[in-house]
Amino acid sequence: MSDTPGSASTLGRAIINKYPDIESKPLDGNKIELIVPPEKIRDIVSLIDEQVSDALPESLFGIDLTENKYELIYIFWSHANKMLLQLRVHLEGEKPEIESVCDIFPGLEWHERETHEMFGVNFKNHPDLRLLLLPDELEGKFPMRKSFVTDRSRMDETGLAQPKSRPESGGESS
Amino acid sequence: MQQFDFYLWLSGLWDWIWGVLLWFWGILKWFVIWILDVIDGIWALVALPENFMFLVRAILMPGLIFVLFALIFTVWYTRKIWARVQDRRGPTHVGKYGGYQLFADAIKLMAKETIIPLKAKRWMYRILPSLLLVIVLLTFAFIPWDPYWNILGAPGSAFPDLSVSLVLIFALLTAVPVFSLLIGWVSGSKYSLIGGFRAANNQFASEIPMVISSVGPAMLAGSLSMFSIVAAQTSIWYVVLLPVNFATFLVASIASVGTFPFDAPVADSEIIFGWRTELSGIYFTVVYFAEFAEQMLYSALMVALFFGGFNGLPFLPGIVNFLIKWLVIYFLFTLVTSSFYRLRQDQIVHLCWKYLLPLSVLNVVLVMFAVVYIPGLLPLVIGG
Amino acid sequence: MSPDILDEASVIWFGPQHVSAHGWATKLTLVGDYIVECDPNAGYFHRSAEKCLEFRNFRQGSMILERICMMEAFLAEYPYIAAVEKIVDLEIPERAKIMRTIMLEFNRIHSLQFWWGQFAGELGLFAMLLWPWVDREYTLDAFEELTGSRHTVSYATPGGVKYDFTPKFHAKMEIALSRVKERMPVFDDMLAGSPTFRLRTEGVGHYTAKQALKWGLSGPNIKACGIPMDLRKDDPDPNLAYGMIDWEVPTTHNEEHPGECDAFDRLLQRFKEIETSLDIIDKLLPLLPEGPIIDPKARAKVNRLPEGEGYGRVEGTRGVTSVWLKTMEKAQTPWRAKIRGPCFASYYSLKHIVPGARFADFPAIFGSLDPYPGWWDR
Repeated sequence: MSDTPGSASTLGRAIINKYPDIESKPLDGNKIELIVPPEKIRDIVSLIDEQVSDALPESLFGIDLTENKYELIYIFWSHANKMLLQLRVHLEGEKPEIESVCDIFPGLEWHERETHEMFGVNFKNHPDLRLLLLPDELEGKFPMRKSFVTDRSRMDETGLAQPKSRPESGGESS
Repeated sequence: MQQFDFYLWLSGLWDWIWGVLLWFWGILKWFVIWILDVIDGIWALVALPENFMFLVRAILMPGLIFVLFALIFTVWYTRKIWARVQDRRGPTHVGKYGGYQLFADAIKLMAKETIIPLKAKRWMYRILPSLLLVIVLLTFAFIPWDPYWNILGAPGSAFPDLSVSLVLIFALLTAVPVFSLLIGWVSGSKYSLIGGFRAANNQFASEIPMVISSVGPAMLAGSLSMFSIVAAQTSIWYVVLLPVNFATFLVASIASVGTFPFDAPVADSEIIFGWRTELSGIYFTVVYFAEFAEQMLYSALMVALFFGGFNGLPFLPGIVNFLIKWLVIYFLFTLVTSSFYRLRQDQIVHLCWKYLLPLSVLNVVLVMFAVVYIPGLLPLVIGG
Repeated sequence: MSPDILDEASVIWFGPQHVSAHGWATKLTLVGDYIVECDPNAGYFHRSAEKCLEFRNFRQGSMILERICMMEAFLAEYPYIAAVEKIVDLEIPERAKIMRTIMLEFNRIHSLQFWWGQFAGELGLFAMLLWPWVDREYTLDAFEELTGSRHTVSYATPGGVKYDFTPKFHAKMEIALSRVKERMPVFDDMLAGSPTFRLRTEGVGHYTAKQALKWGLSGPNIKACGIPMDLRKDDPDPNLAYGMIDWEVPTTHNEEHPGECDAFDRLLQRFKEIETSLDIIDKLLPLLPEGPIIDPKARAKVNRLPEGEGYGRVEGTRGVTSVWLKTMEKAQTPWRAKIRGPCFASYYSLKHIVPGARFADFPAIFGSLDPYPGWWDR
């Protein structure tokens, strides 16, 4: 299956021939990984849609690398070619932006909504960027960012009673 | 010109107060006498032996108390059959074989808080469920339980039933879809409204085949009186002559009650509980009982129309014969309801109007020709 | 859709307190009896499992995943373990591989039985609701015998499995499997053989394979269109035993509309899934070798993981279930864990499948897609 149209190496070569500034990581079995600049994402995804007829948009999610650096990972799976395609996009900034691809793959619409509410990544031209999973009071807080702490320091935001502080002497010394 | 004399006026004050008191006393006395007269009249009526026995029959034996206990038994019976079909045990804990479970459930339901939705029409919401139960229970007056001991007929009297009781039963039952629709409407919820429309649609679709199915037995017996139809089945039960008619009646009656598989009006996976969604507490209890009373009624109608009513084993009293057959028919009824998938509303109407209605009309035509052209039939079906 | 039709439309919220909406809310716009617009809403079950995973070490993490979908608890936790095993180099004993596979398939059977009951209940046959659930109890008894827990088995651990099969477990599994085999024809008769069932499901909620791929549907929902897309065959996890035996991926073909599927096809597909699972278990049981069940160095190795990224996938009952893990150097906890639930796509696809259907067909459509709210809310 190494050179059938749409297989991992052919697709990788086709993409790199067309867009030379895209890096490709070495093949790992049936897995191909491309590092895509953010402005090229629509071109690459529509190329995948053309080249791989049965691409399944499996997943899209963000990673917070701290210091305002983010990564987006797009995962596609092709049953006919037994190929796992992973696109990696580096984003930077307080409010990173990227083009939405949900008109090409409708299945990514909700993944983009989730990434938007969880990481604050703005998907341009997305039809519907309402909150998906979060309650209204967490809008704009982006809870999956590493800067969103979940320990006791944010107790007063919840409106719950403060836990009693431990006595200075007596009891465990931990 | 007379001058106003204050002291004269003061001396007349007592007379004035006394007059007012006498006037009130007169009203009170008149009212008490009127009540006593009414009670006297009622008592005079009740004290007549015929009337007294009528009261006993209407309230005790084949009447209200009997029907209510039968209702409670029916709910237990249904739950047991359903449980057995579903590989469960049903109620087991309260009383022997869970016999008291229904009393416990009824007390629990009645003790529950009644929550009336904000958008509901409060008066209608309060009054409609009980009216529904009353309408359904009224029809039990015309069921011929026994040759001698019915609600309307005095023992030994020449004519123990109204001459049009079959028509009257269906006339009363026509009110049921109206009540379903109204309850759905006044609940102020979209689910209830959809359920109400579906219930009305369902019953209009199914009651026409049901009424026409009941024409067959009436024509064979030559009467519209339930008692006469039952009395005519001494030599042969009509189910032997009219099996198709019985089948259409059974299916149409299940559809009319609106239970499984024709429970689109209360389909819980679509519209929660249909027109009963917003009912709670005592209102829910009443509507729930009304549904079971309807199932009981249709089973009793089937026994009377097709299975010879109180005719049966000669050494048993008529009512025992009737009840045995009723249990069997009710079992059949519940078995059918517990073993089909729910149909969609359009499929129900499709079934009722495209299959049941032509079948039942065809049966009427066949019975017409049979009564005229088959010579030995008439003496057989008229009864002894 | 012209705007004057929408003037008469009424909006109905299907959930979150609806008896048949299992913790989700869908906004339906109805014109008459027809649904013209469907807006699925998620988030009522959201417990931020992904954030929780960032605070659990690599042996604890799978317990959180189990709680996402109780019905396929072992299938849900396995991708996490597979992802950990991709990052750290572990020697999985042969016996453990086969035992894992058997348990995965066993779990799939009881998850599918649960779904049958639920689907029949949504279509209004409550006898069929309870019959598969009674049979399911035998499977749960076997799970209890093996792991002490009926649903959340947490059987596998990075490097192997936790408990060895005992003769008592073998006996209970035999009872459960023979019960399933014995009752399969009965259920086939009660679901696929029932004319009222066909009336309710045929032609309802149909889509083409191409559409399904675009929406991201996977598992039985796409195999019902005739595409044999199955991760057990296409991309088997190296630490599972699917490659050791010979088996067929079940697919369903709609004869009237090739390449499409409706609710009835999806039901048939799930019947075939159970047959395949029984087949795989039957073929794997004789292959079970003697030996250790866990890599002895696993516990020490999993304490701190090297930097890396691992993508563990498994074919769940409802579709592709996967966990994507990123670890930093000497990590005790994952830096980022992404859970991909199969029902995320199937719940989203209601938006496209439902419009045009009757309101009464809505339970048949979502029931046949088998959505489980834990998977999209996580």
